[in-house]
Amino acid sequence: MTTETPALSRLVPVRRWKSFFESYGQEFVILAALVVLFVGVGFYNPRFISANNLTSMFVGNAYIAIAAIGMSMVIISGNIDVSVGSLIGVLGTISGTMAVNGYPVILCWLVPVLIGMVINAGVGVLVAYVKIPSIVVTLGMLSILKGGLISVTGGAWISGMPPEFMIAQFRLFGLPSSVYFMVVLTALAALWMKYSPFGRAIYAIGGNPEAARVTGIRIQPAIVGVFTIHGMFAGIAAILFATQLQVIQSTVPPNLELTVITASVVGGVSILGGTGTVIGSTLAAILFAAIGSSLVFLNISAYWLRAVQGLMILATVLADMARRRRI
Amino acid sequence: MTLVLNRMLRHEVILGVLLVAALIVLAGQSEHFWTADNLLNQGRLMAEVGLIALPMTFVIVTGGIDLSVGSIFGLSAILLGVFWQNMGLPLPVAMVAAILVGGIAGLGNGFIITRFKVPPLIATLATLALYRGLAEGISQARSVRGYPDWFFGLGQGEVLGVPSQLWIMIVCFVIAAFILGLTTFGRTTYAIGSNEVAARFSGLKVDRAKLLIYGASGLIAGLAAVIFVSRVSTTRSDMGTGLELDVITAVVLGGTSIFGGRGTVIGTGLGLILMQALKNGLALSGVKGDGTIVVIGAVLIAAILIGNLLSRDGD
Amino acid sequence: MRKTLFLTAALGLTMGVGTAAMADSPWTGGDNLPTSPLACDNTPGAAAAMPYDGGAVTGAPDLKGKPIKVVDVPKLIGIGYFNATSKGIADAAKELGNVDAKTDGPTQANIDQQVSFLDNYITSGVNGILFAANDPVAIAPVLKKALSKGIHVVGYDANSQPDAREWFVNQAQFNGIGKALVDDMAKEIGEDGAFAIVTSTFTTPNQARWIAEMAAYQAKCHPKMKWLETVEAQEDNNLSFNQATTLINKYDDELKGIFGMTSVATPASAEAVTQANMCGKIAVVGLATPNAMKPYVAKDCVKSVVLWNPVDLGYAAMYVLRAVVDGDLKPGAKSVKAGKLGELQIINGSEVLLGAPTTFTKENIGNFDF
Repeated sequence: MTTETPALSRLVPVRRWKSFFESYGQEFVILAALVVLFVGVGFYNPRFISANNLTSMFVGNAYIAIAAIGMSMVIISGNIDVSVGSLIGVLGTISGTMAVNGYPVILCWLVPVLIGMVINAGVGVLVAYVKIPSIVVTLGMLSILKGGLISVTGGAWISGMPPEFMIAQFRLFGLPSSVYFMVVLTALAALWMKYSPFGRAIYAIGGNPEAARVTGIRIQPAIVGVFTIHGMFAGIAAILFATQLQVIQSTVPPNLELTVITASVVGGVSILGGTGTVIGSTLAAILFAAIGSSLVFLNISAYWLRAVQGLMILATVLADMARRRRI
Repeated sequence: MTLVLNRMLRHEVILGVLLVAALIVLAGQSEHFWTADNLLNQGRLMAEVGLIALPMTFVIVTGGIDLSVGSIFGLSAILLGVFWQNMGLPLPVAMVAAILVGGIAGLGNGFIITRFKVPPLIATLATLALYRGLAEGISQARSVRGYPDWFFGLGQGEVLGVPSQLWIMIVCFVIAAFILGLTTFGRTTYAIGSNEVAARFSGLKVDRAKLLIYGASGLIAGLAAVIFVSRVSTTRSDMGTGLELDVITAVVLGGTSIFGGRGTVIGTGLGLILMQALKNGLALSGVKGDGTIVVIGAVLIAAILIGNLLSRDGD
Repeated sequence: MRKTLFLTAALGLTMGVGTAAMADSPWTGGDNLPTSPLACDNTPGAAAAMPYDGGAVTGAPDLKGKPIKVVDVPKLIGIGYFNATSKGIADAAKELGNVDAKTDGPTQANIDQQVSFLDNYITSGVNGILFAANDPVAIAPVLKKALSKGIHVVGYDANSQPDAREWFVNQAQFNGIGKALVDDMAKEIGEDGAFAIVTSTFTTPNQARWIAEMAAYQAKCHPKMKWLETVEAQEDNNLSFNQATTLINKYDDELKGIFGMTSVATPASAEAVTQANMCGKIAVVGLATPNAMKPYVAKDCVKSVVLWNPVDLGYAAMYVLRAVVDGDLKPGAKSVKAGKLGELQIINGSEVLLGAPTTFTKENIGNFDF
């Protein structure tokens, strides 16, 4: 792989501003892009930055940001999960079905999260112990979950969930709960990744597995752990996804895995593993939401949305590569 | 050398056994499965995926991946219509131009990957969105129809009783198998996948090889798009959505290691046939589409699982 | 910093291209085929008599009254609308007693997959095919192949080229839907109200046709209404909700109404209006299945929903296919019997007209379950 060993330097805490910018450079870039977008489009049409529109941007996309937290961890550990969209579809359907059938609300929220953890723990075992590359396992899971969901539900819509089930629509101080979920989970995950031994182990494994082994990290359980935690975030994302509207389409949301992976990568998570933060991925998810919304405000045909997304990924990745070379 | 060859072929043998078993079971399920008519027709249906799977084998053997093939497919399809109808080029010229655009798009991938050292997964994830976006933006929802009759010979016609595109696929298959198995270029491809740094140090032209491989991937995606347009007689910007998953599944099922350095064109051929046989055979024996998706996913994991378990015993 | 510049430059570039490319028709999302808006009052459109223009089956065995196997391949499976047509087909098959019908299809509205599904069923030896085309031209070759193998082919919901199938069950004429929707909207927001449209994609043939007809009818009969814009939201619940919400935020007081062009977009738009507390201030008019709309109609957030009954559509398609197989429906016929629906009229040469679209309101929506 690469000749330098970034992971080792990261294991030794260096407290200097330069290193601060090195580790959070991408976050600042996205923040800057967000500011440019808000100011630019806000000039064009002030309603873009009205409280209403900002809230809607967060609310409609919080679940993507939350799923991207887990995805970032998986990618930082040097793996990938292309089945997350299907998993969210399945877990959301389970949650909604339970709610309609009168199970206690708390179970409707917890059971899907647990199922997500169990399923992804299985994926982790296949990756870590049986040594099947994660892209192959999750490519298979993508088909199994997607096909299985339609086989079982026939694609019937779920509606008539009790109001107390709709957790994404709860409000506190005027803000919907999904915003709190997004902020709190991102903060917790960021702290945990930075300061807990497990978080550091994930960086070490992704950066240089051999070095990680030498320093006494048990790689296999750690990989299973990462996938399990990713399953938990997917579960929470699924609950928010399912409770956002009065109806649940019991199918897999199209292209969701791509959006989630894109958020992680643009957020600075290197696909080579070993670097990146979950704050970046959340910011990137917000940026995408803002771009989607701005296209409507700027009267740009949605035809070009995908082209913009592609250019953005390219631009961030190229810039990231250029920066790396200079360091 | 024989040892390496043995290890390489082991997966193909497992796959062959799996395929024969599947064929026997499926033939027992429906009397329509094992008929010349059906088999030739399946050849027609799998030609596009099969064609793209060939350069994809090279891509994955180098340790890379190309997620943008479905989008290049869509872009070439749209441009075929635009070149012919909106720009008034003669259809044969438009066909060549559309295929070349595919090649250029592929070279674009290769350039980003080799020049800027962007990991292939990310580079092609970006161009997956970019090329599809271009296809959607350029077409602005307009389909191009009304091609002359001779054009349909490519996608709907037959030569000596065999679908035309199947001939093209067979020719490409032989060429690909020859290049990967028996030429210096093929050895370079394996060397890059096994250890890129070592390949560079031993003086192999790594970047040039990668550029060519990604370019070929785009070029063939363009060719497949032209065949597909001829088969369905219209262009749409959503053509080929999700195609990359089918292609990658076939290649990985064929035993090409996603880590690079291992894989054969024959394996890809077997993987492709197994996948298509499952799709077709299950449909004929009354399994619905969503059930078939589940089976293919399970077979993908199982095939790699068995291969891994067996190779561990062998070590 | 270079990165930021790069990003902004890239964004700016793309946006420039985007704006330049979209300065054509006043209503985005419509197709550019000729339109035929109906009269502003309720004079029915003149139906020009046309000779049969459907295809012909060759070598079909005589199966009059005998059991037949039928496959239904909709655009995609797993959405409420096609679940309903599938139910209608199953109901009719049960009623007829001599039909073995099943629904199977792609999980995304994708022509490549739909063609493969049809091809496999042709090989497996069915006697009849029901379809809703993702693309009228792309599906034609495989349907012609079915006809050439003695398989009867009847379309519903979304047509193919006429010569690639025998009959097509038309749920409602495009200009009829256009008139119904625009009239409803005008009634709710007034003759000078401004509205926006949420559609699936600009490439979806039916939606594009309706939008074009709506534009023509609005220009003719409600010239002061103002179209603001059309946004795409695929057949995706959350995206539709986000797009509708953004429209509300963008236009604020100016926006008086939203058209939902799909059975997914309409309930999602109603949800967006509800969550923005704009019920009564922004009208939602659109095509939707009653079950998905019941909560909003009950809360008076949505006054009326327009749709033909998709269960009836599937039911009629199945009856038409049986009539074709039995030889009861031949080219030149003026009408066809379809079980409980009675006699259905034949229009445009080879299309069976289901009838006028139904408008569901608070009073009658409880009577429908699909």
